[in-house]
Amino acid sequence: MKRLLLIHGAELAVFALLAAIPLAVANPYALGLLTLLAIYGILLIGLDVTVGYLGQINLGHVAFLGLGAYAAGICITRFGMGLFPALGVAALVGVALGGLLALPALRLEGPQFALATLSFTALSFTFLNEMESLTGGAQGLSLTRPPLWGHDLSPRGFFWLCTVLLAFVWLSMRNLLHSQWGRAFEALRDSAIATDAMGIGAYRHKVAAFALGSGLGGLAGGLYAFNFQYLQPQSFVYDLMVILLLGVVLGGRKSLWGAFVGASIVVLLPNLLSNRQVFLAVSGLGFLLALGSGAQGLIRKTTRPFQALAPVVAMGLLVAGGLLVQNTEDWRKAIFALMLFSVVVGLPEGLMGFAARALTRLFRVAPAPLPAPSDLDAVLPKRAADGSAFLELEDLKRHFGGVKAVDGLSMTVRSGQIHGLIGPNGSGKSTVVNVISGLYPPTSGRMRLRGRPLATGSLYRAAQSGLARTFQNLQLFGELTALENVMVALKGVYRSPVPLVLLGLAKGEERRARADALALLDLLGLKDQARARAKDLTYGDQRFLEVARALARKPDLLILDEPAAGLAHPDVQRLIQIIRRIHQRGIAMILIEHHMDVVSELCTVVTVLDGGRVIAEGSPDEVKRHPKVVEAYLGQAGPGDAAPQPA
Amino acid sequence: MNALIIGQLAVSGALMGLVYALIAYGFQLTYATSKSINFGQGELVMVSAFFSLTLLDHGVPYALMVPGGLAFGALLGLLVERTGVRLALEEKSEGWVLLTIILGLFFFSAAENIWGRDDRPFPTPLSENPVHVFGIDVTRMEISVAVGVFAIMGLIELFKRRTLLGKAFEAVSADRDAAELMGISATRTVMLSYGLSGAVAALAGILVSPITTVGPTMASAMILKAFSVAVVAGLDSGFGVVLIGMFLGALEGLASFYIGSGWREAPGLMLLILALAVRPTGVFGKAGIRKV
Repeated sequence: MKRLLLIHGAELAVFALLAAIPLAVANPYALGLLTLLAIYGILLIGLDVTVGYLGQINLGHVAFLGLGAYAAGICITRFGMGLFPALGVAALVGVALGGLLALPALRLEGPQFALATLSFTALSFTFLNEMESLTGGAQGLSLTRPPLWGHDLSPRGFFWLCTVLLAFVWLSMRNLLHSQWGRAFEALRDSAIATDAMGIGAYRHKVAAFALGSGLGGLAGGLYAFNFQYLQPQSFVYDLMVILLLGVVLGGRKSLWGAFVGASIVVLLPNLLSNRQVFLAVSGLGFLLALGSGAQGLIRKTTRPFQALAPVVAMGLLVAGGLLVQNTEDWRKAIFALMLFSVVVGLPEGLMGFAARALTRLFRVAPAPLPAPSDLDAVLPKRAADGSAFLELEDLKRHFGGVKAVDGLSMTVRSGQIHGLIGPNGSGKSTVVNVISGLYPPTSGRMRLRGRPLATGSLYRAAQSGLARTFQNLQLFGELTALENVMVALKGVYRSPVPLVLLGLAKGEERRARADALALLDLLGLKDQARARAKDLTYGDQRFLEVARALARKPDLLILDEPAAGLAHPDVQRLIQIIRRIHQRGIAMILIEHHMDVVSELCTVVTVLDGGRVIAEGSPDEVKRHPKVVEAYLGQAGPGDAAPQPA
Repeated sequence: MNALIIGQLAVSGALMGLVYALIAYGFQLTYATSKSINFGQGELVMVSAFFSLTLLDHGVPYALMVPGGLAFGALLGLLVERTGVRLALEEKSEGWVLLTIILGLFFFSAAENIWGRDDRPFPTPLSENPVHVFGIDVTRMEISVAVGVFAIMGLIELFKRRTLLGKAFEAVSADRDAAELMGISATRTVMLSYGLSGAVAALAGILVSPITTVGPTMASAMILKAFSVAVVAGLDSGFGVVLIGMFLGALEGLASFYIGSGWREAPGLMLLILALAVRPTGVFGKAGIRKV
């Protein structure tokens, strides 16, 4: 309660204050700054979707601002549209072009994504500059702000309009980003492969996130056009992009407050610099802050020496420069660069991330309480297992160049069975799993699930058809909590359409998802870790979390890729108990394992691979005595019944 | 006549494209060792060119200015590595993208204030008279660009193949962890690559300045095209950048003539987005297999 009161209270206070300022201050210059602040607030909230949630360096946002601004401007001057229709067109232009750009950019990560979006910015500048018949080219485009419902908007009225829109965007984005959508965006950032393998869909979420962020960019562009009433292509270039990007990072990623603070800094900075006294005070304060936090970090050994020293040096340069240089405004970019450098190195989570942590400690805000877990039978209903053929592989091959990783494998997994898949290192076990789960398309061969052909070469479609898998090299969503890792994969809970989510009317399913996910964490013995970030869990718990997340898919067939690898002995025993309990629910499993004791204890049937082919199949005891198996593991036929010693 | 114009445009464009290829080669050097590139490389080109111009203004002879400029570029490269890249690499994050952008912003602002915002001519000892080859005019400056680009790329490739340090460089490029286990310091190798990359950027600045003049924004358009070249060719494509650079340069020359000079960058940029979409590893790059 206290938590909600604080959060919503602070939001309400900021908006009330923002809306009330023009009543007290009549200065048109100050009003212009406030209007720009509201517009940039919307812009940066949009940028934060890709930069913060999707975790990509997006250098194309400024292009959407420009294209939105020009779209609104052309709607007004050419077609005489009203204010809201023009804004709508601006936002739609952003959504459409953002979605289009996301398509080629889909396969790209990190620097390549940054480059693709950077080219888009340059391209759209060329377009705006050269399409003179439409945009007026370098001459610019003049427009007059259209009236709102027949009334001419005063600057103050326009400011209120922007503020209301900012509040609306803020609230709906908070609803959206705290729903399954926000979790899916973050999941995509941490592991695109797992996002597909968990049936969440990397493709549509990447397009959606990019289109959404770009749409907000376009909306902000429309407002920008109405604010300045004059547009030039030169306004929307790389320079502004860098400043916007840095505004988000400075304010703090993945935070609406961060975007707002970032926008304030971007808007107010030029004014801070023009006043010498203010500049010296700000830089001095920054220097002391860097010195204090650096010293603290060094003494507590929480930061590396470079992280502690570099901000101090940068802020020191700022102070010294402020004393030496005559006109600080000329050095605007360098000053911005130094401040940003200090924040990026010293406070990676941004100003608001830092402040939020400090405030949580200060007010002792307790995290939101967890609901009671759902009944496991409701989350993971028992199903009938009749031993019929469930997954059939026939003459499956997968070659990589000349390497025949899987070379003509046939096997049948029956419903309700635990089917072991063993073999020495390099025998092709993991490749089989990767082909079944859709990571690689098979070179040839057939796969049938419940008698119907299984989708090949698509993790997402394989997941949709009822498979779930874990990964030998963990693919958890590291930044999400254990609870969120399970929630994001949960199948069959999220049904509300986007408009309801935006309006915050989908809280019911959110509560249910939380309770269901807790039930699964409880099954894996992770209930007490629900709030811990996945990357902070112990290695063993991370392995169990992978299983819990796969179970959230409510699969018919669960593929466990070396779940016991690296586990301590007590954890192995715990794993065996858990697999038994999953088995009791009637879920078929493929178990890849090196621990022979685990395999012997659990599996009904074991298939042994070597060199990509099946060399034996049968009950664990039969397989252990099979001469070919012994040879594969020990290199030569041993004396009769020697048990294989896995590598 | 028409064929002659096309030939002229294509040849001058391709020679200019060699400069993009050279900057792109600088990206390859750092990408090989650290999977990172300096997003502020254009500022390195520009600041080094300004520094070299200052050397000339103070009466340093041309023959000494070149090594001086290269050394300065290498120093800047090392500075970028130390302040912008190393921390992010240690944390295995992509923070270097932002940090190198920030450093570029700083260099840009510093250059603006130290050397002014205006474009300045850069003297050259070469004569103005062009050379005629099959009816096509090639300026001596353009020839010097080609010679300089091939000379430094050849030298660095020889260094990588023939010296022990160069082999360490190749080892870290191939497998950083394995190289470290063999006693090669990956950090030092990354430093070396950033130093070399800075020197390459400086040379690009010195070669191109007599043609374009020197100013704070001299590299902002060039760097985008160098990015295009590096990505379209593939960040691990070796000499592929030369081919793609010349192709893109020629394309640009023709586009500016036939569509209009304002559009000259458009084909390259579209090619970049398309290339990224179709083949993210580049035309000459190696495609890897997704492993889990």
